[in-house]
Amino acid sequence: MTIVEIFLGIFEGFRTTATVTAFGMLFAVPFALVFGVAQYLTRGLAHLAVTAIIEFWRSSAVIILLFVFYYVLPIAGIELPAIAVAAMVLGLNTGGYGSQAVRAGLQSLDRGQFEAASALGLRRRHTLCLIELPQALTRMAPTFINQFIQLIKGTALVSLVTLTDMTFRAKEIAELEYNPAGIYTSLLLAYFAVCYPVTVFGRWVEQRLGAGRDQTNGF
Amino acid sequence: MDFDLAFAVSTVLPILSVIGTTIGVALLSCAGASVLGFAFEITRRGGAAPGYLIRFVIDFIRSTPVLAWLYFLYFVLPYYGLTLSSLTVGVLGLSLYFSGYLAEVFKAGIDAVPKGQSEAAKALGLNRVDSLFFIIAPQMLRNVAAPVGNHFVSILKATPYLAVIAVPEMLGKAFDIASDTYRYAEPLTVAGIVFLFLALAIAHMVRLLERKLMGPTRR
Repeated sequence: MTIVEIFLGIFEGFRTTATVTAFGMLFAVPFALVFGVAQYLTRGLAHLAVTAIIEFWRSSAVIILLFVFYYVLPIAGIELPAIAVAAMVLGLNTGGYGSQAVRAGLQSLDRGQFEAASALGLRRRHTLCLIELPQALTRMAPTFINQFIQLIKGTALVSLVTLTDMTFRAKEIAELEYNPAGIYTSLLLAYFAVCYPVTVFGRWVEQRLGAGRDQTNGF
Repeated sequence: MDFDLAFAVSTVLPILSVIGTTIGVALLSCAGASVLGFAFEITRRGGAAPGYLIRFVIDFIRSTPVLAWLYFLYFVLPYYGLTLSSLTVGVLGLSLYFSGYLAEVFKAGIDAVPKGQSEAAKALGLNRVDSLFFIIAPQMLRNVAAPVGNHFVSILKATPYLAVIAVPEMLGKAFDIASDTYRYAEPLTVAGIVFLFLALAIAHMVRLLERKLMGPTRR
């Protein structure tokens, strides 16, 4: 096999890598929004409960979480395909990180924004959705893009629960022929080809946001 | 199959018995990643060709999963006649992977030292190296302590990845127990809980450290 054939062979796993990433986002985005906002708004016991759930998903080692859910859910009578378990665990882990960005973004807003909204007679939920969230989410966009890259890279884990992603393909090819240097260099290059454009995009977003902010400050 | 609580409890001590390996690997990797990340950042600041090269290396590392790096080092080094213990490969892999992130920490840490400091050093006739090690680096330490601590927690949470290259840390131990007894859920759950509490405890210590370091500068 030439190095090009190896690379293309590994890239056959891109479908699974992309699918897990996409389904992971279905868990990550709602979790980050709901729990980030909840942590920002709640006080007392409710705040404690929200924080505990976030910390469980954020502070656990994601590789162990994946195995725990992979083996424990069937015992609880919940039979899910490996791809669903992987998307849920990776997604909620990323969502845990995302929730902190959402909360930090909300907390970083000038208090005057909230006060002006109340002075104009906006209800709390309208203030949140129309004034606070749009600014907070834009401000944190570069962070979200970084976390998206972490999610893509995290999907390499699914190769350990028998899903045929790019990493799994690399291991399959490694069984067919002895060329570790070619195979694992190709594997690194395959992930680089997927993630680097996102990195560049993130940098572009960051620059644009930076430029916009300078303008408003100058005003 | 039910979740056997008594069996789960019986796996706690064997899993805890290798907690030293986990913490040791995390400490060594954090030290390795710091040294490498600092070296990257210094070279990047040198500008010109090596600067661009380092920038690319850091982007490459940040665009590729830690699992791919571990496989790469574990399978490719022996191919070129360099056989290292799996523990060494693990520490090397984590050091390399996290050096890309720590370089950014050092960048921010150095940027936060007032420009007057390096100008004063120059005025006093210190050369670039002396100025870096005796003037900038000591002041940078206060800025980087908390972020390095946060990355230490990330490294700690990445140590279970080393189970895939047969390093006897806590997840590896849990899998040993699982394959001996054919019961996966219990030892994995125990390992997950131990990791969660370990990560939370260390994250809490980092927060205390952060507060202590922030104290005097706030006055």
